[in-house]
Amino acid sequence: MTAQRSFPSFSVLWMLSALKALFAAGLMAFLPFSTMAADKFETFVDQARGQSVYFNAWGGSPAINAYIAWATDQLKVRNDITLIHVKLTDTADAVSRILAEKTAGKTSGGSVDLVWVNGENFASLKRQNLLQDEGWAFSLPSFAYTDSAALPAIISDFATPTDGLESPWGRAQLVFGYDTAYVAAPPRSASALANWVKQNDNQGRFTFPRPPDFTGTSFLKQIALEVVPDSSIFAAPAPANMDSADAMLRPLWAWLADVSPHLWRAGRHYPVNYTDMVRLLGDGEVAIAMAFNPAEFSNGIAQGVLPDTVRSYIHEGGTLANVHFVAIPFNANGPAAKVVANFLLSPEAQLRKANSEIWGDPTVLSMAKLPPEDAAAFAGLPRGIATLSDAQLSHSLAEPHPSWVKVIEQGWEKRYAAN
Amino acid sequence: MSGQLYTAYHTAMAAGTKVILIFVLTPVLAGLVGAVLPATGWFPPLGGDAISLSPLRTFLLEPGLITSVSLSIFTALTATTLSYLLAIGLLAVLVGTGGGAFLTRLISPLLSVPHITIAVGFLFLLQPSGWLIRLLSPWATGWDRPPNLNLVPDEMGWMLVAGLVAKEVPFLILMGLSAASQIDARRLLEGGRSLGYGPLTSWYLVVQPQLGRRLFLPVMIVLVFSVSVVDMALVLAPSTPAPLAVRILVWFRDPDLMRQFVAAVGALVQMGLALICCAIWVAASAICARIIRHICWSGWRLMTHPLLARVGRFWLLGLAVLPCALAAAGLTSSLIWAFADIWRFPDGLPSRWGLAAWMMTGDGLVHAALTSLVLGLAAASVSVFAAVFWLEGVSARTRTGGQIGRVDRWAGTRAEGLIYLPLLIPQAAFLFGLQILLIWLGVDGMFLTLLWVHAVFVFPYVMLSLGPSWRRFDTGFTDLAANLGAGPWRRFCAVKLPILLIPVLTAFAVGFAVSQALYLPTVFASNGRIATLTTEAVILASGASRQTLGAASFLQMALPLVVFLAADLAGLARFRRFSWFRV
Repeated sequence: MTAQRSFPSFSVLWMLSALKALFAAGLMAFLPFSTMAADKFETFVDQARGQSVYFNAWGGSPAINAYIAWATDQLKVRNDITLIHVKLTDTADAVSRILAEKTAGKTSGGSVDLVWVNGENFASLKRQNLLQDEGWAFSLPSFAYTDSAALPAIISDFATPTDGLESPWGRAQLVFGYDTAYVAAPPRSASALANWVKQNDNQGRFTFPRPPDFTGTSFLKQIALEVVPDSSIFAAPAPANMDSADAMLRPLWAWLADVSPHLWRAGRHYPVNYTDMVRLLGDGEVAIAMAFNPAEFSNGIAQGVLPDTVRSYIHEGGTLANVHFVAIPFNANGPAAKVVANFLLSPEAQLRKANSEIWGDPTVLSMAKLPPEDAAAFAGLPRGIATLSDAQLSHSLAEPHPSWVKVIEQGWEKRYAAN
Repeated sequence: MSGQLYTAYHTAMAAGTKVILIFVLTPVLAGLVGAVLPATGWFPPLGGDAISLSPLRTFLLEPGLITSVSLSIFTALTATTLSYLLAIGLLAVLVGTGGGAFLTRLISPLLSVPHITIAVGFLFLLQPSGWLIRLLSPWATGWDRPPNLNLVPDEMGWMLVAGLVAKEVPFLILMGLSAASQIDARRLLEGGRSLGYGPLTSWYLVVQPQLGRRLFLPVMIVLVFSVSVVDMALVLAPSTPAPLAVRILVWFRDPDLMRQFVAAVGALVQMGLALICCAIWVAASAICARIIRHICWSGWRLMTHPLLARVGRFWLLGLAVLPCALAAAGLTSSLIWAFADIWRFPDGLPSRWGLAAWMMTGDGLVHAALTSLVLGLAAASVSVFAAVFWLEGVSARTRTGGQIGRVDRWAGTRAEGLIYLPLLIPQAAFLFGLQILLIWLGVDGMFLTLLWVHAVFVFPYVMLSLGPSWRRFDTGFTDLAANLGAGPWRRFCAVKLPILLIPVLTAFAVGFAVSQALYLPTVFASNGRIATLTTEAVILASGASRQTLGAASFLQMALPLVVFLAADLAGLARFRRFSWFRV
């Protein structure tokens, strides 16, 4: 049955691609059997010299693009690797491209060497066997500085075990930003937010990115976690029957029905993503915005996109927190991509990334496991005026099981994007 | 001897046209197959190994499908109808009075600017925090914060219509000017007027029907493009729900790979929509033609008071110029953003000018601009070369009469229709399947592949631009050269090409502009690896940095302008030689 699926005899195209695969497998047999181990990493470094790595990462933020450009320079100097940032509008682009390559039987030399993913996109890649296995991520030298006991999310991506198929890159937490010129006391819960939105003075001054944008969907997940009485349902997979899953989210739909008519542009149009929404905050079109990066609003002030009256806050019950990763597709240039992933996870690269004047993405490394001088460098990082302290950010909520994403997105689409 | 030479020459030519045809049609046909198979449920890598109707069923259950489809049809038909009527009206002014040099000057830069740049300009100008409201606030409007209005995008899709009209009116005028000279519009117009019709009436009743027949192909291209436009729609069209073409792209990009089946069905439905739109157009124009014939038979002169006629003409002009003027103002606001460090609402102009945008992502943009430049020049060169080859082959064969008759007719008429196929099939319908083909061949993401796909779209436009002048060429010149003993090569290089140099240069510049504007083909053929200014601009259009977006728009305006100017100068240099020769 499986064999028939892999080699349908009625198509020349598939026969040829099968032949190609066999040929590649034959070649593989001559290569020395390699297990991923830390001491083997040096061989990757040698193999990677002079190679190119196509890094597919969302390209909508100038600050992130500038950081990746820095990493490109560093990797060229240190490892003689040419890192090429393929700027995506949506990470799912890379997922469908990898799929197209599998369809075409391209088992090596794929166009994506490293991809920035988490959550739903990772689950999809893993489910379709589109990733390089071997648990490579756990054996990277830099992985030793992480502590999965203290931060389980680095091995469990939205409740999907990573199995070492992706290497942690950074942490994210949903943070709201508000303009103190228009908002005296920000609403610190879903119900307070609903009341704030409905006030006469605040008509049209709130919105969220249009789902299925990552931040937009996350915002709906946040509201669901707050308004559904028994939030333990989100730890388990959503019921396979879409109607009964949808019914379990009734409090979320009620919240949206209450709020949507009072949104920016009466809920007829939504910002494309969070950077689009931050721009609206800067223009004064909306008074509250959200982002998945605690330093986003300090960043915006530094760049002149936001006025210096903007501050940030999170909800009393905590907000969604997760980890984002880099993964290597099945047909990628593996050794060089692993060297890049290791560099991105190194204390030096993580320190620069955590600097809110550069990007402000919190580190995934454990301070306890770092050498003392590195830990001190992290402690000494500047914090922007609109960035919350670690203590203020400590209230966090775990991500729902990824299967809820589809229920939330389709439910929202059906109700608010179909007329 | 000479006859034998001719036959060999023509066999080569016929083979050449066939090669061109294969290069143009392979991607389209392979891409269509790649859409049909998944749409019927056959897509083995995703476990689809049986023909089934379930993709269709899932597709039909998509929420808001009817709205998406009607939005696509409405915007496409409205934009095309408006573009056609306005272009015909402007042509009346241009041809009838001959006093429209100013208008041509206003319109021709718009022709060279990519669609996404026009769309971004509309956004910068007309959204609630846009330049127009900034200029009027707070002194006239009382707003110190942007108003909460659905201006761009609006709820009905009018902004998308306006954006398309601003881009298509110049295209149809360019096509119309060459068609008008073919039918000798001015004499027809005088004929109509001598029968007692007013200038505008005789234009619409007498000239328009003939012009319309010659504009049929360009109008169909506009219609199919409008129904399947993605880049402009991402910025200007409603999003709850979006037009069908945008939703197909979203389905293709869905992390749930099962949606690929839905996307494939969507691609085929997109093709159906294009057909329906074309059918509606043909039916409506047949009805209009009947009405016009009735008016003519009835002898009704549609005379109005001269003052009223003048007001009407003024309105027509205003209406035609409005979208173009808005586009021009939008482009101006993009230029301001490119050099604004800080420009807060409601300031009419930036409070701090500077080069922040260029400092931040300048390198990436310059790189993309270089790629666009090289790609555009290469695609235009290849296409002009192919077009000259094609036209020369066909015209030479036509002159030798029935010698290779069957091949002639095939290459001359039916085959020439086929080269426009890439413009008459919605892009989304075949590009995904094409991507699979390219990956399978192992040529995806290569510069040459991207060049090939660009040329597939650029070549037909170059043919549209170059064809009429080539066919109008007075063969007396080459006959004279032949009598003086010049061989076929010498006749072509020393006589025909120099005389047709200006149309060739114009076609080259048009080809460059078309290549600049391509979005979906670039995304799919480059496999995301090669960034052009257009793909960068689409990414930037959804980001926070309007400065960087402005900078991208600046480069998108500058590149075609430089190429158009260079083509102009090259033509000028030739003319100077001519006049010097005369002296």
